[in-house]
Amino acid sequence: MWSVVKSVLAALIGVQSNQKREEDFSSGRPAAYLATGVVVTLLFVLLLIFLAMMAAR
Amino acid sequence: MRSRWWWLIAIVLAASESQAQSNGWNMPVGVTDVSSDIYGLHMTIFWICVVIGVVVFGAMFYSLFRYRHSKGAKAAHFHEHTSVEVLWTAIPILILVGMAVPATATLKNMYDSSNAELDVMITGQQWRWRYEYLGEDVAFTSNMSTPRAQISGEEARGEHYLLEVDEPLVLPINRKVRFLMTSDDVIHSWWVPDLAVKQDTIPGFINENWVKINEPGIYRGQCAELCGIDHGFMPVVVHAVEEEEFETWLAERKEAAEQEAMGVDREWEMAELLERGESVYQAICSSCHQAEGQGAPPAFPALANNEQLLSDVDWHLDKVINGVSGAAMPAFRSTLNPVELAAVVTYTRNAWGNETGDVVQPSEVAELIAQ
Amino acid sequence: MAPKLPPQPPLQHSSTAVADGQSHGHAAPPKGILRWLLTTNHKEIGSLYLIFSLTMFFIGGIFALVVRAELFQPGLQLVEPEFFNQMTTMHGLIMVFAAVMPAFTGLANWMIPLQIGAPDMALPRLNNFSFWLLPVAFTLLLSTLFMPGGGPNFGWTFYAPLSTTYAPPSTTFFILALHIAGISSILGAINIIATILNMRAPGMRLMDMPLFVWTWLITAFLLIAVMPVLAGVITMMLMDINFGTSFFDAAGGGDPVLFQHLFWFFGHPEVYIMILPAFGIVSAIIPTFARKPLFGYASMVYATAAIALLSFLVWAHHMFIVGLPLVAELFFMYSTMLIAVPTGVKVFNWVTTLFRGSISFESPMLFSLAFVVLFTIGGFSGLMLAIAPADFQYHDTYFVVAHFHYVLVPGAIFAIMAGVYYWLPKWTGHYPNERLAQWHFWFSIIGVNLTFFPMHFAGLAGMPRRIPDYALQFADFNLLSSIGAFFFGASQLLFVLGVILCIRGGKKAPAKAWEGAVDLEWTVPSPAPLHTFETPPVFHRTSH
Repeated sequence: MWSVVKSVLAALIGVQSNQKREEDFSSGRPAAYLATGVVVTLLFVLLLIFLAMMAAR
Repeated sequence: MRSRWWWLIAIVLAASESQAQSNGWNMPVGVTDVSSDIYGLHMTIFWICVVIGVVVFGAMFYSLFRYRHSKGAKAAHFHEHTSVEVLWTAIPILILVGMAVPATATLKNMYDSSNAELDVMITGQQWRWRYEYLGEDVAFTSNMSTPRAQISGEEARGEHYLLEVDEPLVLPINRKVRFLMTSDDVIHSWWVPDLAVKQDTIPGFINENWVKINEPGIYRGQCAELCGIDHGFMPVVVHAVEEEEFETWLAERKEAAEQEAMGVDREWEMAELLERGESVYQAICSSCHQAEGQGAPPAFPALANNEQLLSDVDWHLDKVINGVSGAAMPAFRSTLNPVELAAVVTYTRNAWGNETGDVVQPSEVAELIAQ
Repeated sequence: MAPKLPPQPPLQHSSTAVADGQSHGHAAPPKGILRWLLTTNHKEIGSLYLIFSLTMFFIGGIFALVVRAELFQPGLQLVEPEFFNQMTTMHGLIMVFAAVMPAFTGLANWMIPLQIGAPDMALPRLNNFSFWLLPVAFTLLLSTLFMPGGGPNFGWTFYAPLSTTYAPPSTTFFILALHIAGISSILGAINIIATILNMRAPGMRLMDMPLFVWTWLITAFLLIAVMPVLAGVITMMLMDINFGTSFFDAAGGGDPVLFQHLFWFFGHPEVYIMILPAFGIVSAIIPTFARKPLFGYASMVYATAAIALLSFLVWAHHMFIVGLPLVAELFFMYSTMLIAVPTGVKVFNWVTTLFRGSISFESPMLFSLAFVVLFTIGGFSGLMLAIAPADFQYHDTYFVVAHFHYVLVPGAIFAIMAGVYYWLPKWTGHYPNERLAQWHFWFSIIGVNLTFFPMHFAGLAGMPRRIPDYALQFADFNLLSSIGAFFFGASQLLFVLGVILCIRGGKKAPAKAWEGAVDLEWTVPSPAPLHTFETPPVFHRTSH
């Protein structure tokens, strides 16, 4: 699970090693990556909104 | 390739040389605390970009020079290095966070228009600005005063070509002035670089901004949002004066407004109305309906020899006072006073071959508006 | 995931060589104009797209030159403000929708099947349809210039209510034209996605695809996501103009700012639609001429995806001065600044690809290197514009004009030209005349910088965009820009000359036209025969 999250975070900032990528792509669980991707994206947006609201106070 | 370095040097020289000038190569420092904060942010992010540029382009041009195929360079075959990649992701993030903190502080300050001592309503109209000192009964429109002959090149262009108006906005220094901004027609944007105020004026909505000017002077800007044909001819001039001078000016304007209001009730001579009407027409109407009333169909109908207009004075008054919904003609009921309205209608009905002989009295117009 | 083999097309001609693919099974193509009207061949349609794009590039360029000629010195000399506004509007619309976007679609048509080892696009008839919609759309758009009241005069961003209540009567035609162009883009995008996902050569996984294919895959998804938003917003305009609704009319309870939100929700991803394929082209060319694999292939793919994702979260940075609430300003400022990170990753990767390579400087490489430098300068001004408080000064000035022209002209357009010079040997069988191409490059680079660099200064000094006449202190900058624009415009004739000469003859190119090239397109003969990869090639994995 942690490795899936790590891979998704790596994708978010756009840095990933080839070796790790090979592992991801041979894990055979694309659904897990997709679901984590959607969740992380939502969290990312919420985090930005939270930061903006904190800063605006 | 070397030419790019000269660009960089040119920027650096230009940036350091022009700190004090407002109309040189760089953003003006301006005359408010906010404007100098913004200038500081601008220069900070600029130098960050210069440093990153020097490093990245330096590495690039070094590689281009050092590893030329023509000099027999043999290609290496590495194609990734995770820790380097993480590093060059992390460093920009840190720089950005460092930039975001002061930017946030400045922005919060710009958004805090509370505790203003004076409220000015700014209304954009195609293609002029209307200023209203709220609670002071003083309001006027501000039109570009550069003669068309200068634009067409028949006359020599003056020093403040296109950035001069008949009536500047007069503001006191050292006082927090709140702007309430809206528009009567399309979106405009009121901008004075030295005050670092640029805000869209949007029909049906009111935006807020504020300014506290530190130094007296004349500050010029112009409309920044495309708003139609004369978008380029919609300057803003702010005359910032000492507080006592401002009070005197405001009192004079109030008195003049009262005088004008009294003029509504008396009977006006046709010649008086024509003279007044011509100046109103040239300032307000001619940008669309053209100097000789020939219009610019289909958007802007001709007024000269316009049969509907000439045959029906009530129709004519209605269009000028209430505007034409769904078209570019605005309602002038609140922009112009009854004297000006009566004068311009009288003028239109008796100029450029329109010979109706109609005289419309300010008192009639005042009655129509009251209805 | 087990290596997934894409479904293979039926192997009717499994024993034939690629080179003589024309001879069997295909009816003789119609001759003359009908051949081009009815073609379903990806190479012919690709050529049509590219020719259309080049034509529109010159038409849009002439509009820009009218603008620059008027701005050559203060005062109104050549055109009236009304016509000036039509020219700025048409220049923007034509360059965005008729020059840059079709050029990338044309390159995609030509190169994606060749790069993934597919015999054609997945939906060839749809492909024909999506191209032929374009001449219709833009003939309609250009015809508005001759209508009473003139063509669109409200800027390519067509903000309401200037584009609704106050617009010329021809606006309805403008809306229809944009609808047709939008349908064309969506159909093209569907076709590209279908091709990439279904028709890759056996053994080629997604992460084996060349970056041009990758960036186009992501671009196509962006197109499908945002073109309907554009269609929605122009339909709302249509209703406001013709059917009495008040979506954007405050007097009827509507909201002019809603227009801008909708427009930029389309418009910002649109910006990336115009630059992501450029990233792909440059990522093919730089490794070829550095004779070294692209640095950080996986990161490039991920960064492209990250940029595409962020592009949906930043639209309101075009609206910092419309009076957004403070929280919204901060949100969009932060998200916009974050885009610098994956964009930076790309630039660093290109530079590191050069490091310890073996670099030669043929014309495709020169344009790509100029792309990296000048796009980065455009990125820097973008970073400055992201700082919301400073944007109160930059917004709607020539600083913004300079910024987006740096990312679009030496960005997108240089990348397209790099791609054309890179792939011309494959298309025509001849190398382009290198000396001519080098002249074209150096003239272009001087012209582009002379045109757009002074605009930074004009903007900072206070010159707003879209004005037909300006105050005297901006005169020097505008003089330089206008000289540069005519120089740049004229030097593009060298490009046309180079392409025509290359089609007619020149040094013969082998199948693998460039020493360092690795992708599948270099395994078919030059010029590429009309039908290629009728037998799917076996893809051998190189280390990306």
